[in-house]
Amino acid sequence: MSGNPPPDEVLGIEDLHITVHDGAVTAVRGISLSVSTGEIVGLVGESGSGKTLACRAALGVLPAGCAIESGTISFGGKDVTDLSRRGWERLHGTGVGAVFQDPSSYLNPNLTVGSQLAEVLRVKQGMPRREAHRKTVELFTTVGLHNPERVFHQIPAELSGGMLQRVMIAIAISCGPQLLIADEATTALDVTIQAEIIELLKDLRDQRGLAVLFVSHDLALIRELCDRVVVFYAGEAVETGPVEEIIERPSHPYTQALLGVASVGDFQRRELRVIPGQPPQVGADITGCRFAARCPAAIDACRSAPVGLMRLAPGHQARCVRAADPELAAAAAETALAAR
Amino acid sequence: MTAPVTGAASLDAKPLLAAEDIDVVLGRGWRANQVLSHVNLKIWPGEIVGLVGETGSGKTTLARTVVGLVRPKQGRIVFDGTEISGLRGGARRRDRRSGHVQLVFQDPLRSLDPDLTVAEIVGEGLKIRGGIGRAEIERRATRALQQVGLDAALLSRAPGQISGGQRQRVAIARALATDPRLLLCDEPVSALDASNRNYILRLLGELRDSLGLPIVIISHDLSSLAGIADRVVVLYRGRIVEDGPVGQVFAEPRHPYTALLMASAPSVTHDRPLSAHQLRRTPDDPAPPSTANACVFAARCPFAIGACAEQPALEAIGTARNVRTAGTVEAAGPQTARWTAACHRHGEWPALARERSAVAAPRQPAKLTRNQEGFSSCPSSSSA
Repeated sequence: MSGNPPPDEVLGIEDLHITVHDGAVTAVRGISLSVSTGEIVGLVGESGSGKTLACRAALGVLPAGCAIESGTISFGGKDVTDLSRRGWERLHGTGVGAVFQDPSSYLNPNLTVGSQLAEVLRVKQGMPRREAHRKTVELFTTVGLHNPERVFHQIPAELSGGMLQRVMIAIAISCGPQLLIADEATTALDVTIQAEIIELLKDLRDQRGLAVLFVSHDLALIRELCDRVVVFYAGEAVETGPVEEIIERPSHPYTQALLGVASVGDFQRRELRVIPGQPPQVGADITGCRFAARCPAAIDACRSAPVGLMRLAPGHQARCVRAADPELAAAAAETALAAR
Repeated sequence: MTAPVTGAASLDAKPLLAAEDIDVVLGRGWRANQVLSHVNLKIWPGEIVGLVGETGSGKTTLARTVVGLVRPKQGRIVFDGTEISGLRGGARRRDRRSGHVQLVFQDPLRSLDPDLTVAEIVGEGLKIRGGIGRAEIERRATRALQQVGLDAALLSRAPGQISGGQRQRVAIARALATDPRLLLCDEPVSALDASNRNYILRLLGELRDSLGLPIVIISHDLSSLAGIADRVVVLYRGRIVEDGPVGQVFAEPRHPYTALLMASAPSVTHDRPLSAHQLRRTPDDPAPPSTANACVFAARCPFAIGACAEQPALEAIGTARNVRTAGTVEAAGPQTARWTAACHRHGEWPALARERSAVAAPRQPAKLTRNQEGFSSCPSSSSA
């Protein structure tokens, strides 16, 4: 990702490094990604791979002790890396909205969900009370809540998890942001509800040109929703490209392994695969490829020098010294075949 | 798992566990909430049963009823010939302490005591049983950890000091320490990533193979169950709507809800026999019957007709084959039909579904998706 950003780029992250524990260790090392209008980009990886940290940096809400060491974050072409707290507050809601895993913990249990959305509209957009009420009901309808007038007057405890997540999405898009960040937004939901939320996100993208950054650990879910995907491993992007391409031709052994453990959806009995070994400790000092210790195809060259992202096709990059190796490609084809 | 058949669940053998006609009501007075209605569940030795359904369908309550944490309003639970639901006082306490039936609770981070070490957690069940020396408890705790593939070095750690996948394995080791004859696992994999999920499921499969232990796995993720379970039981709002061998049910689901669950599961391939849109109600579908005794699924079912005003009973679908491993059909002795579905139109709806549009009809921006939680936010029960 070099040169000029595409004209409709909403979020651009360039070579981002994030340190945790007050600068003691680097948890995110050199992430670059961009999200354009009407595009859904997925971040996938194991827990602890730095997906959530990258998201929180893009939202300007890094937890205490975490800091951006180097790199830039731009929003709509404007550099926001060193934005002040007030600056971020202006951007939240109107520029970027966010939805997280557990909707009930982000809502006040004592207030009606309608008043909590109306409050956002009144504070952010200075809407009069009546107008905010009307807009709230309209937004509830947009996110597919049945009987929105009634939902307006209900408190979070009276709504199911799927309905609460819809309320959270309504709040996130209430002030017309260009970007929605969804961090494991469907993980806590039932599969049937998850499928409906996925459709809702697609509809919002189609109708509003919303850009979405979708974080998940499930490659199958990413496949259902996203246009492009960035695969995270131990704080690095190991592969990035269009979803179809990555599913058809995974070029990094880690992506191949993730694909091997993802749900296939044909409901056949099969050997359940696992990825052997554990990811390295956060901030571990590894010279070469960070996946080499778990990689079935690792060679000496993997461990001797840092591995850069290699361009394989337009928009498709992989961080593997053997990415263009025909032998590895054959192994990938086998994985893809086994996944059928 | 393509392991050899162990403890073959021959169909005419006596079930190890029989939950008969269970009704459970949680809460009292105006809070009273019927969580399970007329549930019949039989578990044969050596089989892995997947219990699926969405939040509030009563999966967890059924498991808690089987282990005796919830008292059913009606019905009985027979374990190996003894009616354990009828035991009271000392007899009940002795039965509970024997640890014959073990439940692995949901979310090990919250169900394991953060102040105890792994050794204390795993050995606690044996300590409560009494009559076992400290050295013996330690030996059996170490053995239980070995059975789940954990190193004995972990014994002195606290649950907060180990990873999520290891915690789940400790929770299973805790259940195994008392040598159970039936293991129930409540959502053992829902908090784990794909690799750890497969690891735990493989582990459960290996335990079944090596110990002949029957295992009930509660899950809302059907695709991972397909890889390991022998039989699948689908619950919807407190009723069993389909129950049958995993291969047959997943090849040709006979209840629309089972099909909807399958169509909703994310997958890396895009070929599905039916899409979720073909199985959801659209505003054009005729209004479902709204009688009190209507089929539990009628309000969400696009195929509901007049007959659905009455709850259908579980009806046998053909004759179930005893399918154990992929492709191999065992000729079991006298076969009783064990594939059942509770749907008036179980033979008709698949053809109707195929005629429906596979993609969402173009909608007004104001009416994006029909919300269905109104129906699915059913009796909030103890299952989280």
